Amino acid sequence: MFDLATIMQILWTSVATSSYYVLFALSFALALKVNKVFNFTQAAVMSVAFYTAYGCVQLLDWPAFIALPLALVAALVLSWFIEVFGFSILRERKVEMLFVFIFTFMVSQLTVYLISLAFGTWSHTIFQSMFWPVTLVGPIAISGWDIPALVVAFGSAAILFAFLRFSRWGQFMVAVSDNPDLAELYGIEKRKVYLLTILIAGALAAIGMFLYGMRAQVQPRTSLDLMLFATVATIIGGIGNLFGALIAAVGLAVIQNASILFISSEWQAFLVYAILFATIIFLPGGLRMPKFGTRFETKTREISLAEETPSAPPSTRAE
Amino acid sequence: MEYLYIVMISLGIYVILASSFNFVIGEAGLISIAHPAFFATGAYVSAIAALRYGVPIPLAMLLAVVVTFLVSVIISLPALRVSGDYLMIASIGFQLGLIELLKNLAITGGAGGLSGIPSFLVPQIGNGGYAAVVWACAIAVVLVLRYITRSDYGRAMSAMRDDELAFASLGRNPMWVKLWVIGLASAIAGFAGALYAHFFRFMEPDQFDVLQSAALLTMVVVGGMRTSLGPVVGAVLLQILPQAITFLNLPPSVLGPLQGILFTGLVLGFMFFRPRGIVRMDPVWKGALQDAPASGGTHVRGA
Amino acid sequence: MVTFSRLNRRQILSAGAAFGATMAMGGGQAGAQAGTFRFGLAMPLTGPQALYGADQIQAAQWGVADINAAGGVNGKKLDMIVLDTQADPNVGIQAMNRLINVDKVPVYITAWSAVVKAAAPLANDSKTLQIVVGANAPSISKLGDYVYTSYPLADVDLIALLKYMYGEGKKTAGVLYVNNETGISAAEIYRDAFTAMGGKIVAYEAFDPKATDFTGPILKARASGADMIHIQGQVSDTPQIIAQMRQLGIKQTISSYSAIFHPKFIQSLGAAAEGVVVTSLAPSPEVSADVAKYVQRWVKEKGREPNGLPYTQYLYDAPYLVAKIFEKLDKDGTAITGTSMRQAMLDIKTFHLPLTGQVDILPDHTVKKPVDLMQVKGGKWERITTIGT
Repeated sequence: MFDLATIMQILWTSVATSSYYVLFALSFALALKVNKVFNFTQAAVMSVAFYTAYGCVQLLDWPAFIALPLALVAALVLSWFIEVFGFSILRERKVEMLFVFIFTFMVSQLTVYLISLAFGTWSHTIFQSMFWPVTLVGPIAISGWDIPALVVAFGSAAILFAFLRFSRWGQFMVAVSDNPDLAELYGIEKRKVYLLTILIAGALAAIGMFLYGMRAQVQPRTSLDLMLFATVATIIGGIGNLFGALIAAVGLAVIQNASILFISSEWQAFLVYAILFATIIFLPGGLRMPKFGTRFETKTREISLAEETPSAPPSTRAE
Repeated sequence: MEYLYIVMISLGIYVILASSFNFVIGEAGLISIAHPAFFATGAYVSAIAALRYGVPIPLAMLLAVVVTFLVSVIISLPALRVSGDYLMIASIGFQLGLIELLKNLAITGGAGGLSGIPSFLVPQIGNGGYAAVVWACAIAVVLVLRYITRSDYGRAMSAMRDDELAFASLGRNPMWVKLWVIGLASAIAGFAGALYAHFFRFMEPDQFDVLQSAALLTMVVVGGMRTSLGPVVGAVLLQILPQAITFLNLPPSVLGPLQGILFTGLVLGFMFFRPRGIVRMDPVWKGALQDAPASGGTHVRGA
Repeated sequence: MVTFSRLNRRQILSAGAAFGATMAMGGGQAGAQAGTFRFGLAMPLTGPQALYGADQIQAAQWGVADINAAGGVNGKKLDMIVLDTQADPNVGIQAMNRLINVDKVPVYITAWSAVVKAAAPLANDSKTLQIVVGANAPSISKLGDYVYTSYPLADVDLIALLKYMYGEGKKTAGVLYVNNETGISAAEIYRDAFTAMGGKIVAYEAFDPKATDFTGPILKARASGADMIHIQGQVSDTPQIIAQMRQLGIKQTISSYSAIFHPKFIQSLGAAAEGVVVTSLAPSPEVSADVAKYVQRWVKEKGREPNGLPYTQYLYDAPYLVAKIFEKLDKDGTAITGTSMRQAMLDIKTFHLPLTGQVDILPDHTVKKPVDLMQVKGGKWERITTIGT
């Protein structure tokens, strides 16, 4: 029923659309790896990035080369704010993971409401038209968005990996993700590393949102849905494994699109959630299995979550 | 009065849900947020049994409780292999998967929802009578769960929550405790679902999504986790607050977003300025287990 | 820790006091507004559906204001109470509960299928008239004695669309529909009606309401080689689907339904919008001078055209419809209850409304109404024909 051209087309488009998924997944996975948080505030950062860009381009008529950097700055400011006035306080208090989850979730919800109030709930794109011209390469339609998006996404990913591998601060981040207490003993300032991580994650999410917002319509709630996909990719890729998250994001985008050839489209969403459930149960940690603590900051136990119970040994509780 | 009855019925159902959710997430420390999935299971089983197969409603409700119990235990057998964050994500996967299933099956009415569910007791005893029944159930649930957490079994639960390794080394099997906790709490949620279905007589799969989990979680946390009264207070407060705002007669363009902003802002405020909830943890049984000074640590006001 | 129990009690008391206060406020409000005709409006002000809800409420408020400015109903003012449903059944139930039991309205207007269905038992039990304006799931006509609609259900406009398309020689069709209630039930109507006419459905593909890419379903439709492709999607995703269809080389006629008929659709697609055919269930500004004036009012007061213009026209007209019923009962000296409202509405049957024209509300809970077919031509919406029912 399906010829080679159709299959090639699906593969190409899914790889192209995976560009923003890759960025969202990397952002989510990075915060999880270094800061040990399921950072659902990422949705708030994504929304702010998009709406700043949209506001500057469409409402103020500013050119894109001003609007996009400005939107990136807005996203970074919000990330900074969330880290300094949110995460770092929660971390100091050693609150339960559950509280952090509620905090991040509520911040993203609050942003949805604030943006609805400011911009309304009609759906928008960054530029007025969302239609991109198409070039035919053989039988495959390649839109004007596809290749720049891929370059930006994978370029950003390459810079991130190089930064973590070769730069001093990147190595600090890796050290803190491995063992924050030990890293601190070696003189690494944890607070700065956590802040830097959240800023980088915010930048990745913002860039992803620019790509998304040039091709599809965004409502205040859109970023929440996009982030769920990032969560799935991060889990499947393996918590703490950035490259795994990247591969998983591309893989999921392809599977979701290609599965329509075999599975009726109603069941696609079910498929994603079933994969999520099965992966985490039977392959916890995805590609590999790092230890990951439930308590914000301390990372010794998986079982404990008592806020008040001194379940962890005293040595790890000491700040 | 009728207005109050319907508000009370909805409140009572949320009290049942929040209390049983606290039992899982607070008392037993199992971070599963899929509680609405079991609420949905109970609601759909009872509604489908009564609507499509003509099962008498009390029997349908009983069936809902049994099926929810079985479903929760069967899904927990593999799921409880993991704990902490992993369990939370697995529970999200299960919950969203179940919603997709409900949307795509014919018997559930699909994404358009199930309407025409037969009503229970209301024709005989009216909304006021039903509200009384719901609240009697809610109080019974709160008392039973309170009794369990204060019994020897409750002490075993908190011991397991606080130190699973030590618990296991004493020769107890944590898996059995967890299964029993999830099974019981889910059966209660399933019962709440049946109460909901036969009063409101319509439901759709999207009602039971992650937002519902967040709402329950907020009730438990704002009210006070690991207390008997906390979830009750949280449920009452968070159900009534949005209602109260509608009476302020604000212009519609402000009313909608404002409601959301106040709601989320309140929760965030609580988290930072009163992080342990409105109702403090009950020291009676906590104190027996560990030294008290540790409880002071989180009460410092921040920023 | 000794303070623990006292704290509980205080907190519970204050929660109780807050609730008591809200009740008192509600009661006071109900008493203060005697001598008016009161009705309710429950629409989504928040949540993903608010993009329509907010403008529809604005339209209804203008309707009420214009009626009152013109002397009201037999000299009495119309009073509309607006509540948020978030398009969520639970929130909707609580909103209707307030309208029915606190504000004691005999009639209220609402929309969105899930809310309409969830609230139907409340309306029927309390014998309050529920008028649905905008939701179009065909099952709405079967929700009980007190649930009526002033808006044509999905079968009306889709059958009109198909009649035209079939007449234009389109014999095979592909359908892409969003996997929610509106999408599923409308797609079924389209399929069954087209098959009954003698057409053939060659592709029938659902997509997820949260999908961000549609290549798979589109390529399936492309592979089917259908004469035309119908999209029953959401307002937010349909433009992107059409953009992707054009990018993937689909040249066939694309059709959709009335939700897509708005100016922004053409803006966001540019040339890719050319040729798209949609239905419209209300006269457009080009046809009706009143509607043109109404659109100008939007531009003047809000700086833009309304989202989902035809829906807002229905909402502007809804208070007129309600006012006609109040007027009849008031003239006849009949007590105003949900039951008498319902009977009076069926007795009047044919309503002539300012922005949507004539509509017949039938005892079988459906309505009769002509359908405009609109097509994008040269970057503008143009009416190609009107199909009577």
